[in-house]
Amino acid sequence: MAEDLNWAVGGEAGDGIDSTGKIFAQALSRAGRHVFTSKDFASRIRGGYTAYKIRTSVDQVQSVVDRLDILVALTQRTIDENLDELHEGSAVIYDGERSWEAEIPDKMTAVDVPLKSLAEDAGGAIMRNIVALGAACEITGFDVEYLDEALEKRFGGKGSKIVENNKEAARAGQEYVQENYDLDHLGYAVETTDNDYVLLNGDEAIGMGALAAGCRFYAGYPITPATNVMEYLTGRIEDYGGHVVQAEDELSAINMALGAARAGARSMTATSGPGIDLMTETFGLIATSETPMVIVDVMRSGPSTGMPTKQEQGDLNMTLYGGHGEIPRFVIAPTTIAECFWKTVEAFNFAEQYQTPVYVVSDLAMAVTERTFEPETFDMDKVEIDRGKLVDQDEVDEWLDAQGHFRAHAVTEDGISPRAKPGTIDGAHMSTGLEHDELGRRTEEEDERVQQVDKRNRKVETAKNEEDWDYREFGDADADNLVISWGSNEGALAEALGYLEEDGIDVRVISVPYIFPRPDLTEEIEAAEQTIVVECNATGQFADVIEHDALTRVKRINKYTGVRFKADELAEQITERLSEEVPA
Amino acid sequence: MSSDVRFTDFKSDKQPTWCPGCGDFGTMNGMMKGLAETGNDPDNTFVVAGIGCSGKIGTYMHSYALHGVHGRALPVGTGVKMARPDIEVMVAGGDGDGYSIGAGHFVHAVRRNVDMTYVVMDNRIYGLTKGQASPTSRSDFETSTTPEGPKQPPVNPLALALAAGASFIAQSFSSDALRHQEIIQKAIEHDGFGFVNVFSPCVTFNDVDTYDYFRDNLVDLKEADHDPTDYEAAKNVITDGEKEYQGVMYQDENSVPYHEQHGVTEDMSEIPDGAPEDAMDLVREFY
Ligand SMILES: Cc1ncc(C[n+]2csc(CCOP(=O)(O)OP(=O)(O)O)c2C)c(N)n1
Ligand code: SF4
Repeated sequence: MAEDLNWAVGGEAGDGIDSTGKIFAQALSRAGRHVFTSKDFASRIRGGYTAYKIRTSVDQVQSVVDRLDILVALTQRTIDENLDELHEGSAVIYDGERSWEAEIPDKMTAVDVPLKSLAEDAGGAIMRNIVALGAACEITGFDVEYLDEALEKRFGGKGSKIVENNKEAARAGQEYVQENYDLDHLGYAVETTDNDYVLLNGDEAIGMGALAAGCRFYAGYPITPATNVMEYLTGRIEDYGGHVVQAEDELSAINMALGAARAGARSMTATSGPGIDLMTETFGLIATSETPMVIVDVMRSGPSTGMPTKQEQGDLNMTLYGGHGEIPRFVIAPTTIAECFWKTVEAFNFAEQYQTPVYVVSDLAMAVTERTFEPETFDMDKVEIDRGKLVDQDEVDEWLDAQGHFRAHAVTEDGISPRAKPGTIDGAHMSTGLEHDELGRRTEEEDERVQQVDKRNRKVETAKNEEDWDYREFGDADADNLVISWGSNEGALAEALGYLEEDGIDVRVISVPYIFPRPDLTEEIEAAEQTIVVECNATGQFADVIEHDALTRVKRINKYTGVRFKADELAEQITERLSEEVPA
Repeated sequence: MSSDVRFTDFKSDKQPTWCPGCGDFGTMNGMMKGLAETGNDPDNTFVVAGIGCSGKIGTYMHSYALHGVHGRALPVGTGVKMARPDIEVMVAGGDGDGYSIGAGHFVHAVRRNVDMTYVVMDNRIYGLTKGQASPTSRSDFETSTTPEGPKQPPVNPLALALAAGASFIAQSFSSDALRHQEIIQKAIEHDGFGFVNVFSPCVTFNDVDTYDYFRDNLVDLKEADHDPTDYEAAKNVITDGEKEYQGVMYQDENSVPYHEQHGVTEDMSEIPDGAPEDAMDLVREFY
């Protein structure tokens, strides 16, 4: 693997850290480099430490590591927070003219740049971060022209004057370092390539997947880290004749989406744990009324409001079991940003094919992380739409009973009934959360109750048989050691394999995007000597279901600090776990 | 749609299980007649119902319908209308459903001015759960859960709607069949959120707000020379603590429904087979 470079900008929330980071990430991506970004942020708008980190390489990168090469520090706290990750070859860019006396350990290279005054000379103090980017370009030997492209993209809408000023600010930073420092000994040289990459995060990929899949109605209520899905769709869905409603709460959001779905539209809502709690009431109704709908849960630390800006995979049980009574459902958890796109497309198809609610479960680490991909990763020609048994006008007659009533909940062999959208003549029917007969009308008849429950559950059985509930696999397929993961841990695990290999440890990694239905891993587990399940929660919710499926005990690696797994840390923990005794 | 639609076409063949004499019979008849008279038919109509005796209405009517969870009928109606501006949407429920558990949604549906008709069957009691106080119960109304009365003033739903910026506010009485139907029709024809609070007496649990009470006390705005487009006049009748009125209290003639304000015109249920043609542009945005 080629040398990777780790860069970060940190300061107070409100310092424009996000946009500074994003501009640099875009510049690197334009230069044909792979980029993987991550954010440290606190749950406040102004004040409080926040950082945007970029790992970049000409090879693919899909995890964070414990190393920082270049740090743009707008506050002392930025330096303190990252001290562990800084090393002898690190360069710290800071503004010595500002009122804080930077304390940077001697062994690192302190690069004092008058960010504020240079920015003022270029047209405004607000551009001090751009001056710092110019300085970073000089230190890393990265052509400042790539920055120009990103600045045009960012500020193009604000007029050419602003773009020019920013370009000037970047050059001022670059030239300042060139004239005042000789940093060749640090040895940073950022290679570029001719590759064209796209850079996007998990929330954006979900939104894009929804649009590609024909989602036309979205209702939501803002919540970190799911809001970006809504922000992405707003302003874009209209191009396709759709609409986004910011509802008054999650109860309303999911019910609006339900209404649109019953009207025949592909419809979706997205939220995080606390919102899922509120939506659970209607979740049962969606399943019982057999309405196709996609519900996205971008998980964050719980329970309750927990740690709103921190990573966790704690909602698995809720999406799997949430709601009173017994609710047939699908739960899909994309394992990469690309999968956020494809699994969302799939979710819409499943929803309509099986007329059930489908959970797409993502997490904060995936939602706020941007990663580069070849544009063909999202090849729209491969998107297929399957609307299931949506009957058109000619087919309605087949589903009428002797009195001419539409049998919207007809008991069928595969458990799937016909669906008529409003406007279909003779298709008018009632749907309800009450137990109902084939026509959708309330019943408490024992036989009818059993038939309807069986019918709804049979859809899941049909799906289990008809669809591929696959997993992704890395490492050595014949290894004695098996590591199983779900959700966003895949990237870190894939990279951890490299470290493990260096230590002579062979591992087979299975990354599972389907929570329910899910692949049966019994054979894989039996073939392995040891199995470890990796997840970002305290109790091992996925490990529990794996143990249940395979009737055996597995080892577990759980992280619930609020921070995602890092590749090197995972490698270490896997090594450690493997040497422990197998649980009885 | 077809001009030969009769109101009985909106009737399902399920016999209502409402108590004999329940006000909901009259409310429902007015709704069915109103729908038929305004040129709708069951296949282009969507009825959303709440939970309660009143909420059972969806079962007794014939159309596309959803009988949802308690208090959430308005958001469902909103979703239907946004996805399908071509469909006639009617939402119905009780005073508990609409002004208690669903009060938040009520305010916001009013404020959005979604083009649908909202009929609340106000019996000033919880019927289905067998006689507890509702948000519109009188403060001294004794029930199983309020033996000395709720000891709090009832909500005034009309005032709530007015404060939220309603574009159509009306009140009717289910046993005044012609007048009720006429008011429902006006609400259906209104471009925007047509709100009708219907006095729909519960003969089993409410012995105060009875047919006789409403017959003797309701003042018809037809006879009061009321101009519904006059906001001040509307405010006066709505906040009049002495008398109760039937009729259209307020109508904003310049009302623009939510979907039109947001430029939603298309039938969202029609989507292409596969990603839209220019969908790669969505990806290129991320260069
Ligand atoms: C979440 C929830 N809480 C409580 C109930 C029980 N419940 C059913 S109907 C009802 C009150 C209905 O009163 P109202 O809306 O006035 O309708 P009415 O029966 O009087 O027509 C209640 C509390 C429920 N179904 N769901
Ligand atoms: S309990 Fe009251 S509201 Fe319910 S059906 Fe009987 S009379 Fe009507």
